[in-house]
Amino acid sequence: MSAPALSKSVRKSLWLPRANVLFVISLVIVAIMVISAIGAPLLAPYDPDFVDLANVLSGPTTAHWLGTDALGRDTLSRMMFGARSSLLGPLLVVVLSTIIGILLGLIAAWRGGWLDAVLARIFDLLFAFPALLLAILAVALFGKGLAAPVAAMSIAYAPFVARLVRSLVITERTRPYVAAYRVQGFSGGWIAMRRVLPNVMPTVGAQSTLNFGYVLADLAALSFIGLGVQAPTADWGAMINESRGALMSGQLLPAMVPAIAVVLVVIAVNIIGEEFSDRIGGQIPS
Amino acid sequence: MSLLNISDFTLDLTTGSKARLLDAVTLNVAEGETVGLVGESGSGKSLTARSALGLLPGFAETSGSVVLDGTDVLSATSSQVLALRRGTASMVFQDPRSGINPLRRIGDYLTESLILCNGWSKADAYKRALELLRSVGLPRPEAHLNQFPHELSGGMLQRVMIAGALSTSPRLLICDEPTTALDVTTQAEIIGVLTEQQAQRGMGMLFITHDLNLASALCDRIYVLNGGKVVEKGAVKEVFTNPQAAYTQQLVAATPSVFTRAVSVISPARSAAFVQAAHAQESGQPSVMLEGRSLSKTYYVKGNAPLVAVNDVSLSVPRGDALAVVGESGSGKSTLARMIVGLEQADTGDILVAGVSRAAQAHSKAERLERARTVQIVFQDPYLSLDPRILAGAAVEDALRLHTKLSHAESRAKVLALFDQVGLGEKHANARPRTLSGGQRQRVAIARALAVGPDVLVLDEATSALDVSVQAQVLEVVDEIRRERGLTLLFVSHDLAVVRKVCETTMVMRRGEIVEHGQTADLLENPQHPYTQLLLDSIPRPEWETDRPRHSAALTDPVAEPA
Repeated sequence: MSAPALSKSVRKSLWLPRANVLFVISLVIVAIMVISAIGAPLLAPYDPDFVDLANVLSGPTTAHWLGTDALGRDTLSRMMFGARSSLLGPLLVVVLSTIIGILLGLIAAWRGGWLDAVLARIFDLLFAFPALLLAILAVALFGKGLAAPVAAMSIAYAPFVARLVRSLVITERTRPYVAAYRVQGFSGGWIAMRRVLPNVMPTVGAQSTLNFGYVLADLAALSFIGLGVQAPTADWGAMINESRGALMSGQLLPAMVPAIAVVLVVIAVNIIGEEFSDRIGGQIPS
Repeated sequence: MSLLNISDFTLDLTTGSKARLLDAVTLNVAEGETVGLVGESGSGKSLTARSALGLLPGFAETSGSVVLDGTDVLSATSSQVLALRRGTASMVFQDPRSGINPLRRIGDYLTESLILCNGWSKADAYKRALELLRSVGLPRPEAHLNQFPHELSGGMLQRVMIAGALSTSPRLLICDEPTTALDVTTQAEIIGVLTEQQAQRGMGMLFITHDLNLASALCDRIYVLNGGKVVEKGAVKEVFTNPQAAYTQQLVAATPSVFTRAVSVISPARSAAFVQAAHAQESGQPSVMLEGRSLSKTYYVKGNAPLVAVNDVSLSVPRGDALAVVGESGSGKSTLARMIVGLEQADTGDILVAGVSRAAQAHSKAERLERARTVQIVFQDPYLSLDPRILAGAAVEDALRLHTKLSHAESRAKVLALFDQVGLGEKHANARPRTLSGGQRQRVAIARALAVGPDVLVLDEATSALDVSVQAQVLEVVDEIRRERGLTLLFVSHDLAVVRKVCETTMVMRRGEIVEHGQTADLLENPQHPYTQLLLDSIPRPEWETDRPRHSAALTDPVAEPA
């Protein structure tokens, strides 16, 4: 082996720039989705619910860039409006599960003892149920729509956040700066909420970002099987379901567009979440 | 020809902005000699030594040459470098706990390189391992081979690591701060092992350390490194007693010594303190500021025998005085400090500050704040004792706002005054802790402790994580503050030399008990208890200072195993 001299061992690192490119692309994808969700009424070329039976399954045309579905509704417009419920659901779940998880994790870590043990068992119990199963259960009990699955998923995902918060806070509370706050006379609650919590938030945020992707896929699956957002409201999962028939007749677009949207957003959010946790991981003093 | 010959070695880091880490370093080590590489953190001493084995950082650009036994490591092929690492040179690292795989037995650690790299048979390798363990003075070599690293103490593990480094009979042994993580008595034992092995094998040794005293006790020649440059080199006595470079002079001056009476910076502090004490007595305040009455603390960990951390310790510090609590790791000195500041509850006994008991847990907010105003603490690790997210100034302001009703502008002004007192400026107040150096952080921690105006300041190894020159500055700050405020000090340390500089009285602790207590100067010059004598004898001192008799033959004592 004609090994290169060590003196010139300048490692051209290939992964670093590429990771950054992926990260930027992911940000752009998520930004486009968010903008089209928020601005759908202004940006969408058609009313998403406008039925044009004379023009069904048109395929891409200059009038309908992404074609129309079996009822002649514009796929692009439906995808943009669908982004609203498809993104809002996961967002609500992430926010709620993060809040619940932080509170429970913080209490478990800070109080310790029997409370920690009891909470840990409750988390174990929740881990045993797949989130989707809980969501289906909630739909069975409280009816279809967005609210019941979102509530169920929030509870199902909270333990993931709680477990992370708990372990982070346990590490953090043994640090001398926490002892220094105590010696200065600050109350335990103040230290936990105002000082320790903000220090663990970046890592928790990164984890919650990752959760967003999983929840999005779960909720899309739920509306695909008809238990989530109900027709005629546009929703990616529901759109895929509605277009199964078109798929059989060789029209790929009406099902593929929302499917690709789901895949793109999930991957993009995962890359963003990974990048966040990597960056944060490098900053936390060990 | 010398064994290791580094000449004009320059190393630049090429990530981001180009940084020159080593600048034209030239040094050589001959067979059979011990060469010291001395410098403070960031001086490039470890980098220089690692380069000898081709352990360069990524993104590095180098020039010059590093010739080990006739081969230039920088231009050598990987197989040549491997051959050098296998046969010619080996290295002992600082922390044996992280340097040895915790999941494998000591026997595996010692034999795997012989079996895998040198193709020895298992039986031969184990025979060799046994010999090595015996030669580094471990008490039960056969048993140790089957033990896991966590079953051995730090000192024993470091012996294992040395044995491992010696397994291939290297001609050059590179030691990177091998005793820094160890207690002083253990350090003395390890140094004994190293010198013995070196003499027997006629190896060259490159010894990296931040401790000038240690270098002077051990080395023939030393190189002093600062900012990646060799600023001084020569015979150790020459450099130590007659330093030429300004940096070396500063370093020698900053290095505290147990054996030379420090120019007392204490007297003015004492006088101020005494005036205040007299004043206090007039106004009917008790003259004993800090008192501990038969304090005990036992930890119960499931599955382990109860650990008596502090056992019936009593102490009493007059107003304005400084008491040092000295001991090795596990002596209970930190537990004692934590009990005094209220971070741990004593099992039995009472703590009185200015005559007020504070043994029980504080119940009301008022009580909590009242206690905070009497005792404050500065911790050892300046990197962990500041909240990473909070600006340095805001950390101090937090404490002020909690205890006083000052307006934002007033507290801000007070913060700047405090920063000024510890030798920092406004730009430091607006900086995040991670942008500050260790010494600056420790000053911030001191300012924060002083913010509430405590009567007693506990310094828990507050300077032991700092470089000597920085330590000297921080000690100066502490001393000034004592003088100005008449603070009562409890100084917890493992370093007798620092204690001598700072404290009037000293208490030596061992396994949770006080073994000796007295005036610092008396205690250091005329130690009564064998343990104090052992501590003093273990402190490295220049070879040429032989006028002080050693008290005990402790250095040849068998290795103590962890309880």
